[in-house]
Amino acid sequence: MTAIAEPALSDRTATLADRLRSAVGTERVLTDRTQVRTYECDGLANFKVTPAIVVLAESRQHVVDTVRLCSEAGVPFVARGSGTGLSGGALPSADGVLLVLSRLRRLSPVDADNRQVTVEPGVINLWVTRDAAPHDLAYAPDPSSQLVCSIGGNVAENAGGAHCLKYGFTVNHVLGAEVVLPDDEVVHLGGRAPEHPGYDLLGAFIGSEGTLGVATELTLRLIRVPEAVQTMLVGYHSVEDAAGTVSDIIAAGIVPAAVEMMDALAIQAAEAAVSCGYPEGAVAVLVIELDGPQVEVEAQFRQVEEIARARNAFETRIAADDAERALMWKGRKSAFAAVGRISPSYFVQDGVIPRTKLPEVLAEIDRMADEKGLRVANVFHAGDGNLHPLVLFDDAVEGQAHEAEELAGAILELCVTSGGSITGEHGVGSEKRMKMAKQFTPEDLDTMQLLRCAFDPAGIANPGKVFPTPRLCGERPGVRKGEHPVQAAGLGEVF
Amino acid sequence: MTEITPGSHGQGDAPPPGSPGASPNVGPVRDSVADLPPGSPTGAARATDEAPSAVVGARRPLDIGQDIDLPPGTGAATVGTPTLLGLPQTRQVVQPAFDEHHPPDPALIGDCVHCGFCLPTCPTYVLWGEEMDSPRGRIYLMKEALEGEPLDESMVRHFDQCLGCMACVTACPSGVQYDKLIEATRPQIERRYTRSRAEKLYRDLIYNLFPYPKRLRALRGPLRAYQASRLGSLLTRAGLMRKLPAPLQAMESLAPKLGPVERVPERTPAVGQRRAVVGLLAGCVQGTFFPDVNAATVRVLAAEGCDVIVPRSQGCCGALPGHGGREEQALDFAKRTIETFERAGVDYVVVNAAGCGSNIKEYGHQLRDEPEWAARAEALAERSRDISEFIVELGPVAERHPLPMTVAYQDACHLAHAQGIREEPRKVLRGIPGIELKAIAEAELCCGSAGTYNMLQPEPARELGERKAAAVLATGADLMVTANPGCWMQVATTLARMGKRMPVAHTVQVLDASIRGVPVEDLLERALNGPGTALARTSAAAR
Amino acid sequence: MTAATDTRRAGGPDDAVSGVVPREVVRPATVDQVAEVLRAAAADGRTVVPVGGRSKLTWAAAPESCDLLLDLTGLDRVVEHVAGDLTVVAEAGVRLADLQAQVGRAGQLLGLDPPEDGATLGGVVSANASGPRRLRYGTTRDLLIGITVVLADGTVAHAGGKVVKNVAGYDLGKLFTGAHGTLGAVVSTTWRLHPVPPARRVVTLELPDAAAAGPLSIALARSTLTPSAVELIGRADGSARLVVLFESIAESVAGQARSAVALLGGGEESEDLPEDFGRRPGGADDVLLRLAYAPAALSSALGALPAGTAVAAHAATGVSYAAVPAGEAVDALPRLRAAIAPHDGTAVVLRAPDAVRDRLDHWGPVGDSLDLMRRVKERFDPERRMSPGRFVGGL
Repeated sequence: MTAIAEPALSDRTATLADRLRSAVGTERVLTDRTQVRTYECDGLANFKVTPAIVVLAESRQHVVDTVRLCSEAGVPFVARGSGTGLSGGALPSADGVLLVLSRLRRLSPVDADNRQVTVEPGVINLWVTRDAAPHDLAYAPDPSSQLVCSIGGNVAENAGGAHCLKYGFTVNHVLGAEVVLPDDEVVHLGGRAPEHPGYDLLGAFIGSEGTLGVATELTLRLIRVPEAVQTMLVGYHSVEDAAGTVSDIIAAGIVPAAVEMMDALAIQAAEAAVSCGYPEGAVAVLVIELDGPQVEVEAQFRQVEEIARARNAFETRIAADDAERALMWKGRKSAFAAVGRISPSYFVQDGVIPRTKLPEVLAEIDRMADEKGLRVANVFHAGDGNLHPLVLFDDAVEGQAHEAEELAGAILELCVTSGGSITGEHGVGSEKRMKMAKQFTPEDLDTMQLLRCAFDPAGIANPGKVFPTPRLCGERPGVRKGEHPVQAAGLGEVF
Repeated sequence: MTEITPGSHGQGDAPPPGSPGASPNVGPVRDSVADLPPGSPTGAARATDEAPSAVVGARRPLDIGQDIDLPPGTGAATVGTPTLLGLPQTRQVVQPAFDEHHPPDPALIGDCVHCGFCLPTCPTYVLWGEEMDSPRGRIYLMKEALEGEPLDESMVRHFDQCLGCMACVTACPSGVQYDKLIEATRPQIERRYTRSRAEKLYRDLIYNLFPYPKRLRALRGPLRAYQASRLGSLLTRAGLMRKLPAPLQAMESLAPKLGPVERVPERTPAVGQRRAVVGLLAGCVQGTFFPDVNAATVRVLAAEGCDVIVPRSQGCCGALPGHGGREEQALDFAKRTIETFERAGVDYVVVNAAGCGSNIKEYGHQLRDEPEWAARAEALAERSRDISEFIVELGPVAERHPLPMTVAYQDACHLAHAQGIREEPRKVLRGIPGIELKAIAEAELCCGSAGTYNMLQPEPARELGERKAAAVLATGADLMVTANPGCWMQVATTLARMGKRMPVAHTVQVLDASIRGVPVEDLLERALNGPGTALARTSAAAR
Repeated sequence: MTAATDTRRAGGPDDAVSGVVPREVVRPATVDQVAEVLRAAAADGRTVVPVGGRSKLTWAAAPESCDLLLDLTGLDRVVEHVAGDLTVVAEAGVRLADLQAQVGRAGQLLGLDPPEDGATLGGVVSANASGPRRLRYGTTRDLLIGITVVLADGTVAHAGGKVVKNVAGYDLGKLFTGAHGTLGAVVSTTWRLHPVPPARRVVTLELPDAAAAGPLSIALARSTLTPSAVELIGRADGSARLVVLFESIAESVAGQARSAVALLGGGEESEDLPEDFGRRPGGADDVLLRLAYAPAALSSALGALPAGTAVAAHAATGVSYAAVPAGEAVDALPRLRAAIAPHDGTAVVLRAPDAVRDRLDHWGPVGDSLDLMRRVKERFDPERRMSPGRFVGGL
């Protein structure tokens, strides 16, 4: 006789689960172990925590109810959209609630005159542009995962994409947000107008990685689809020449819509995955896109071609139509996952360096990889110095995962010492919180905590993310009055 | 405890739990956000998602079902759950979840990097927006099972709810072979998990009927009489139809309008110079419900210079039972099919049903364990072609007469995703003067037919059917063309239920009409009212 | 450090902050000195108002008290301009005009063009000041990539960095933008720069009245033209002029200007900007308002203003400046706010003559996030010593 052990919920979470079922409906609350385990990681699969409860919210009220009940019970919650984040930002809290927003996916009609649209957080990024397209409008932020990632997740991470060189990031394209604060209060930040009196809390909220509250509705700015778009694919025999081309384009006063770079290993992976037909024998390729008025694009395109040629480009291919353009992008956009075809495992990194440091940093990464005997594929937004080194390794080789993790970490530190950042678009999440101290002083981090404490004094919104140590909202570092509820609940510790 | 009580939620006589009905939230709904109803209701409750709070279980050898052959060492247990009435409800738990006979390959599972690119192409994820009903989630469930989690009702349900459309395989940038994974999982469930009596009965009925052309043909008589007597609409009007279990309703509503059988000769000589000797797989459903398609295929092949052989001895290729995890049955069918076509002495085996074609191309993999069959299976697989693939490969010789019309070509999942054949049918259609192709929105999304899915999971199938039918209608095309009998029935019956009508035809029928110089009006008329088209039941639309 | 204390002097009428004369003025020269001054002020419980070029010293509501005017013009170093990266680090006291001159030598510009003479970077950030080219480049929140601030207790904190793309940590730069010195003092700023466009073309169209610009600005916004600015200048006498500015390569601006003339149904093309381009409307006797609303509501917003109001609207963006005669402002303001509210419109008083300043609600309704703003203020400045009372809700 063997008893099958069902997951043991603590009394506190069991009670919370019952209350959640009454509030949002039994069918929207999961506690079945095999079911909740499918939510134990997001796009960063090597970080796993099984949530106690998963709530599949379908309305703002479900979010408010869930947050209220969590707040009353002192149980942490983590909001999640499509679960494609690459920094473990939606990693659940153990014994906590995972608030899934993928069913909140309604779009209001596009307001073409104001160039805006209001959407729910579970709406997939690409749906916005699809709805806007009949009005000759588009939603500019286009992370590589745009066909699956959610707007809510984009807002949490301040997602970028290939075209943010010219158009900016999510924060530049979100006009308003309805936010459920961790104490279940609903506030409206920003709106449909470009400015509002008061602090720019919307600006602070975007990119806060779910630590300040849960957005339930977002008003997005749409851009006019440009008159002309031209895309070219340029092949090089050296990474230095490709990087040099980028610098020369910028120096010529041209702001391309996108400049993307891939090295030999990344090209090989993309070819294996989607047969994108990149130039054979290329050590590096650039995907360069210009958009704007026809005459402007044509003139600048000629200029860019000349610059590339002067930098020894051996092949320049110009997309003749949308299909060819799509294929050029397909190779780039599927590159991350495609690396799975050339390596059993890999870490995706996301660091930023000043663009001018590109050649030296790439050379240094090469040297570091050689030292470890590992391969690093480079795929990145060269225009804004946002590197995505992919550190390849094989789980089956003893110790290699550890070596790879060390190398990935060392690359980030190299980014910081080069004057850059540990993350350009993936967020800090669970993965890089310990690296925050490399980039910021304790005073910087304490000051950021002031903002967090204003939004979430109990520290229940996505705890354990972004910041190196869970921090309590005391009056001032070192001055604390009694035991904090979070501490009492065993959720945080004093440092 | 000595007896395993099946789950209380009688799958088989109600929509499966965990398939929410038509929620106002499904899909990208466009409406005024200001009007969003707070807590808008969704479909069926999921009582089974509740975790049991009391655990009373026992482990004992499974001893059930004459058709279930369990390897030794298999364990199962029941876990009691207090119900609303306070009666103990038992839950079946199989542990370990998988036996040693080809469980899902951990290496293939390891290929998944959890990027989520598959999610928006997965029909059930599109409907329900939950991880367990997405390819990524299902792969995760397989991984859990390999790590020791038991095979229980919820896990089985999530696997059952997979349509097997393989859109995720197309979408996956990492090249995860989800097809192999789910095909390895289904037989495990069929072998190891005991379904409710009602569901088992229903599944037995399906798998003892559809793969047997003779039995299906025998059913034709009564069905034709039934259709001719208008008993169907009478029953529907009387509300009796609604009293049938939902899956039986599904079966009934999917039966297309039947015409007289157009006999296909066993051997048809090539017109003009012979270019190849070709065997035609007649298919079970195709051959029975859509005999016109086989006749058209034979004419087209002959016109393109092929001797066409349609072996009388052929039966089901194994696709239907294989899709349902009935491995033994599927392999028997496969072997028979191999023998049949080996005997026929053909250069190629041409298939005009997408589901059958993708199955035959997998024979090598399916029979990899049987040394005496593996090579033969592989050889047949290599000689198999979809009709559009074959026509394009062969190159046209017969003259194409114009058919001035607009066509919405619907990608059958087992053609587009499973066989990677997207361009060929379009090329065949574009090769006909006058045809203009219209793109269908959400083309990658399954119509919900998916082999036996629309019978086993009628609720999600219905929602997907409606989504597809609406997308097809939105093209405004004169004709919908598809290359699979399942898609045809699904879209046509859905249109009928919606009170809409649209001509539907197989790719090869359009080509046949062009080669024969059939006027476009006649083609469209036959595609609207001829055999194979759905019976429009206005009362059904109200359902 | 004695450097900071050496620069102390008593406050005078010229130092008045919206009418409030500070007791003392201190002009530190380094970030450390600023921290020292603020630590000392914290110890003494003194209220502090940070100030830069004083171009907006009379903007916003009067502070409840001002013990110390923290003059940041001593922090006047351009720390680092990396032309290849299109970035610049400059202290808060650097004048915007000086920065433009310096980066301009490398063919670059900072995409901010508020018209206030002598404005410093810290002041531009704290007042979230912008000008006509916000249509093209955005505002401070779009261009500021790094910030250093000194909090009320003297803590020096950084956020952001020197790279354009960076999502590490909270973006405190956004929080301090437009905060009017109520959360701390901005001491250093890092910006994203743009190349100076080689050519310019201006299309000017006289209109019968300002409201006529509404449909034209919508049409421009929905076209594929990429103007740097679309300015509507509405004079007190009711006449109006639309100015559309194109800045790019020569071929492009020529073509676009021609297309604009066709689209607008007329207009004069020229090389030069009209003299009143980008100026704030009205004079010292008027109440200067900033209106913001959903962009397509331009006509409605202008229609809600009392007759005789001069306006300068960034027409395609949803931001307008209006100079309401002081005599009418007290009555007109609530009506205006009510009229534009359906368009998510707000009107804030930037500057008002002494006579009416205290009778105006400077910021108007803030919405349901005011409590949250208050909590933010409480965290950053629990003793309410930084520019108290100058901001929304008396913050």
